Parts: sequence; C-alpha cells; structure tokens
Amino acid sequence: MIVDANANLGNWPFRRTSYNDPKRLLERLARVDIDRAWVVSLDAVMYKNVHAANAPLAEMAAEYPALMPVATINPTFPAWERDLVECKESLGYRGVRAYPNYHQYELGDPAFDDFLAVADDLDMFVEIAVRMTDERHHHPLCMVPPVELAALPDLAAKYPRLPIMLINAKNTDLVPLIEPTEGMENLWFEMSHIEGTGGVEQLGRSLGLEHILFGTHAPYYYPESAILKVTRECEFSEEEQEAILYGNAGRLLASAGP
Amino acid sequence: MIVDCHVHPTSPPDQMLHYADRMSIDKLCLSLGPHFIQQPTPEQVEADNDFNRRLVEVYPDRFLAYANLNPNYLEHSLREIERCLVDGPFIGIKLWVAMRCDHANCDVIAERIAELGALVLQHTFYRTGGNLAGESSPADLAALADRHPQTTFIMAHGGLNWEKGLKTVIEQENILVDTCGFDPEMGYTEMAVRLLGAERVVYGSDGAGRSFASQLAKVYGADITESEKTAILGGNMERILGL
Repeated sequence: MIVDANANLGNWPFRRTSYNDPKRLLERLARVDIDRAWVVSLDAVMYKNVHAANAPLAEMAAEYPALMPVATINPTFPAWERDLVECKESLGYRGVRAYPNYHQYELGDPAFDDFLAVADDLDMFVEIAVRMTDERHHHPLCMVPPVELAALPDLAAKYPRLPIMLINAKNTDLVPLIEPTEGMENLWFEMSHIEGTGGVEQLGRSLGLEHILFGTHAPYYYPESAILKVTRECEFSEEEQEAILYGNAGRLLASAGP
Repeated sequence: MIVDCHVHPTSPPDQMLHYADRMSIDKLCLSLGPHFIQQPTPEQVEADNDFNRRLVEVYPDRFLAYANLNPNYLEHSLREIERCLVDGPFIGIKLWVAMRCDHANCDVIAERIAELGALVLQHTFYRTGGNLAGESSPADLAALADRHPQTTFIMAHGGLNWEKGLKTVIEQENILVDTCGFDPEMGYTEMAVRLLGAERVVYGSDGAGRSFASQLAKVYGADITESEKTAILGGNMERILGL
C-alpha cells in the first residue's frame, strides 16, 4: 500500500500537464505502485472564487475510490466559512488546502486564524501549500514568493487537535521549523520537495519520521522522484518506510474527524 | 553504466558514494569545490581543482572532474587548463557564474578546449526577474557554441526555465543538455529528446545539493524508449569520454 498525500488534478495555467484526469492519474501512479492519492484541483489555485472548483472535484473523485479529494478555500474571500461548511457537510471533504501566497495573506493574519478555528470545529485537516512551482522560473507576470512559515509553530500550538500539513516545503523552509515544532503531534510534513543526497532520510529524522508524509506532486512532478527517494536512495528500516509510504497518512486521517 | 555528469563535492565523499551506490550510479563528474564561490580568485580556483584532483586520485574508478575556471582571469584560466587537463586527469572545464559565456575570453577558452577534445560544462539559467551579473543564459551559450562548432558543451539545468532553454539550443548540435539542478518536473526529458534527440541529453544530478533520486526520476519516469534512457543515463557520456 502506498498513499500519495500530494497529487493534483486539472490544469495549471503556466504549463500543459499530462495525466491530469482521475483515470490517467491513477494509471500513472500505479506504474510506481501507488494505490491511493489525495488530490486537489490545480484549477482552483488561480480562480477568484476558489470554491467553484470544490463541487466538480468532489464529483470527479466520487467515481474513483482510490482518490480522496481535498478542498480549496481562500479565507479572505467573502462567504468562505459557508463554503467550508458546505465542503464538509454536503460534499464530504475531510481536508482543506490553503494557498496563502497565491491568495495574498500571511499565516499570522486574523483571517487565517479564523480559518483554522472553523476547520478545527469541523474536524477537518488543513494543508498549507508553501509553493506550487520553483519561484526561479515563475511566469514574469505572476511571481509568487513561498509562504513565510514563522507563525506556524504558534498556530499549531493554538489548535493542538487540528492536523496541519505542510505541502511542497523545501529544505530551507523546513530546517528553521525543526526546533520550534519539536514534539508537536499535529504537524505533518509532506516530502516531495525535500532535496539533497539522502535528504529525506537526514531531514526526515530531524523533523521526526513519524510525521513525514509520502507525496509526489504528480503530475507536475514525475512520481518516480518521491518513490525513489523513499524506497531506494534513503536507508530506512521496513517499519520506517511503511510509516512514510502509508502509515503516517492513516494516523493523520485518524486524528482528524470522519 | 550510469554516469552522473554534474555533481559537487559539498558532502563528504564517503557519504556521497554511499547514496550513489544505493542508486547504482557508477561514475560521478565533480566540479566547483566544497564551498560555492561565485567570483573565485585564482588561488581559490586552484584550491577547488586540487580538492577534486585528490578525490579523483583516491577514488579513480568513481570520480571524474571538470576544472573550475574564472574566465575573468584569462591567462590563469589557460594555465589552469594546461595544469588540469593537459598534465592531469580532468575531463573538461566548468564555467559557473563568474562571467557570461558570451564574453570574448570564453572564445579563447572554448578554442583551447576544442584542441584538447575536452568538455565544457556551462551553467545556464533563464531566471525570472533577471540573471546574476555573470550568469549565462542558454542564448549566451548558443552564441558561443555557434562560434565554436568543434567544442562540445553541456548546457547545465536545461536553462532552468527549460521549455525556453531547450528551444534556444535546438540548432546547436555541439550542445548537449543535462537533467540536473531543478525540480523533477514532468515533461522535461520528453521535450529534450523530442527536440534534440536522446544522444544530446545526459543525466546529471547537481548532488550533493540535489537528491540523486529526484534527478534520476527525470529519466526513469520519462515516456521515452528504454534505449533512449540507457543513452541518457550513461551511454552518451561513455561515448563522449571514451570510458
């Protein structure tokens, strides 16, 4: 069993992507033995009303039990709270993703605190996408810096029941978090952007392997990258590898609501 | 055979080889030094080259090396080519961000490299917001390669903004592109093979800063033929270097 906690469906405005519908994505992931995937809508990132992507994604994923859709919410947009409640109670979403950089707010803004409070009340898990693509080659009309994470430890401490996942975080984003997040059971780190020879092994042990989630960022990335990092390059015990590939994802879901 | 055409000695050699072994990488081509210096003095250039020479001497079956040069010091660069390539084991030179490769000094260097039948590994970026002052773009390299058709160049990183980088060097058949130093973005290797041919694409990682796995994934995960993958992973470097 392998669970991909970071996969994408739909279109990215700056590059044509392949394997971006449910059937072809699952077939592509199956080539590297990935059985299940948590998916977001790439389209949602640049929509003004991001909630417009949530019903279609839920509908699309409903036909594929191997997919678990994750909603997108912009907590600076009117009626976001109503949208989030609808995601949980009508559309069946268990998790929700935020893009603070694309939607132009900071983690320390009151709107994000309100968002975490509502997600906590709804027993959902929250994903924070630190980036979507390498900032060095962004479209010149859409240069979006990575999310500043300094406020994260205090927020995670304020909502200890709320599972919070960092998505697409690089080594330079994660290293400053090692000390201030030590012992925080509700913080999870998806590994697709961890680099360096043996990087997932070295940084993962510093962050705590029990909080590392397997993720590919497919189909924007080749899914072989994440698979090869965890199953070949890094020297993990069988138990550690199983935890990263699916066990930790299961524990995260268990710590959120149904 | 898997040949990594682009690594830097920024982690201990035993550690680098440990992970290379786990990924079945046979040979690793070193450049720069343990610390990256954008504008190295001649003394720093020599220190980097001496550092890599020692690694090649200690691990002759595993490491190859490109000589680091700073083309702003042209006479020193030519002397360093003699010291490292003519008298030593180096397979080529590495040009990083000290000077754009469109400069006339690089013509002199490229001419000498052609005489020696060696390689030029050239860093290239199309960086949104503008390159560093001495940082070459694929267009700079294409211009240099046009003037020196007998010199073989490896365009590192595909230019980073690789859709633009690959299209820039289609016509320069003396330019190969490597796979290294950027995220494992799906489609890169397919586009490189489609536009340039597999014989002009070589695997590189940019380790130790990059994961061997993430960069090998660009080859293993690409929708290309097995023979094309074999060529990219090592066949092309074997042919060029006569390994």
